[in-house]
Formats: sequence, structure tokens, C-alpha cells
Amino acid sequence: MPLTSNEAADALRDLSETERRSARAYGYHNAAPHLILWGLIWIGEYGGYYLFPHYPLIFPILSFVGVLGSFVIGTRMQPTKPARFSWRYFTTFIAFVAFMSALFAIMPPTRGEQIGAFFPLVVALAYTLMGIWLGLVRIGIVGIAIGLLTLVGHFYLQQYYLLWFAFVGGGALILGGLWLRRI
Amino acid sequence: MDQPDHAIHQAVRLKIMAALKALPQGEAIEFVRLKALVGATEGNLGAHIGNLESAGYVDVEKDFVGKRPRTRIRLNKKGRRALDDYISYLRDIIDSPTEGRAS
Repeated sequence: MPLTSNEAADALRDLSETERRSARAYGYHNAAPHLILWGLIWIGEYGGYYLFPHYPLIFPILSFVGVLGSFVIGTRMQPTKPARFSWRYFTTFIAFVAFMSALFAIMPPTRGEQIGAFFPLVVALAYTLMGIWLGLVRIGIVGIAIGLLTLVGHFYLQQYYLLWFAFVGGGALILGGLWLRRI
Repeated sequence: MDQPDHAIHQAVRLKIMAALKALPQGEAIEFVRLKALVGATEGNLGAHIGNLESAGYVDVEKDFVGKRPRTRIRLNKKGRRALDDYISYLRDIIDSPTEGRAS
């Protein structure tokens, strides 16, 4: 039976739609463990600082652990074997540290709460942009949720902001990661 | 290509190939995730994967994660080439002034 041009066009459309869904699912699948890891890191950082306010070093130390963890996850997810060094994660971290250092040198924060809210907002922006530019809608939704939760915590729950960021911010990341894994 | 490649000239098999092609080269996908993407039943998907494996287009790996069995499917070079040829075949039909090819 001959294939008409309409049938061929339908088949091509189905093909590209399936490819698009597969690529998006692959992006979610890869992002999920990073979100869960950083949710745990946030709980450790903000919760730890709430319990031990004299040890602010908990933030850079656990952030470094998070970067190492992301590097390991990124390297293990490389399809080609053997696993190679994932330069993207390392150079992203360097760019992030350089940007933060420059920003705080130009506009130094006056209160700890500002720093506490600033980092989650940067993460929220990064996820929202990923959602917009890569078509990863669910990651965009996680970004918007984290941004809104951060603003609520900063403006309305200053008394509990450390616990808010630990359990609501960290929890949102973990739930977001679990949500992406379901795809 | 005057005739379609009958190994992939079928709706579910075409979807399987498209879903695998979207992954980076050499990357495999788990059977359960492929099932969700393609929207086929387990038995149906298994049969079509078997056909594609017989044609030499996909590689199937079976292993265990802990005690849980896992099946992973990967599009190989031959399969990627076959899908590219099939896409060219479809485009030729669309571009052809006298539409209609044997299927």
C-alpha cells in the first residue's frame, strides 16, 4: 500500500515529538539526583547553622561537599566509559564563586539573612532559566517554587528563616528531584 | 531508498527508535522508562525490541541492580544509520511531486 505525503508527514511529526519527549525525560532523569543532593546539602547547611550559629564555616564546607557530589554524579552519568573528568561542573563552580566574590565586593550584604536568601534566589533563577531555555518545564516550576518560598521566608518568617530554608527550601529541592525521577 | 525498511516501518518500532535516537550516542535507557515514553504494553514493547535487536539496530543489556533485574536498550550505529535513512525516505515522499510509495 503506497505511503502518501500526508502519512509521511505524520510519521515525521510523531518521530520528532517522541524525540523531544525522550530528550526532555533524559534531562529530568539526569537533573533529579543533583536536586536531591542539594536539598540534603541545604538541610545540612541551614539546619546546621541554626543548631550551631558559631560555626558559619558549615556553609562553605557543605557547599564544597555538594560540588564534589555533583561532580561525581555528573561523571558517573557520562555515557561513555571509562568515566572522565566532568569539567563542566568544576568550571561552573569556579564561575559561580568568582561571580559571588565580585558581587559581594561591590554590594556587601549588611545582614546574614540577606546572604541566606540570596543563594536560594540564585539557584531559583538558574532552574527557572533552565526551564525556559531547555524546555525542561518541571525544573522551571521547581525554580519558581524555590524563589517564591525564599521570598516568603525572607519577608514574613525572618524569625525562623534558617529552619524555613532548611526544611522548606531543602525539602522543595528533594521533592522536586523525586518528582523528576518519576518521568 | 525506494522501499521502507520494514524493521522500523511500524508505529511502535519507529517510536522506540526515535526515543533512543534522542539520547547521547552510546547512552542506554531502561525498559520501564522506554515503556512510559512509547506508551506500549510490556509484552508489546518487548516483542518490538526483539525485532529491532534481530535486525541489529539495538543492543539489549540485562543485569541486576541489587536483586532487581534491569533491562537497558541502546541504539547502535547501524540502527542510527537505519533511522536516518528512514527519515530521508519519508522526506523524499513529502518532497516528491508524484507522492506515494510502496509500504
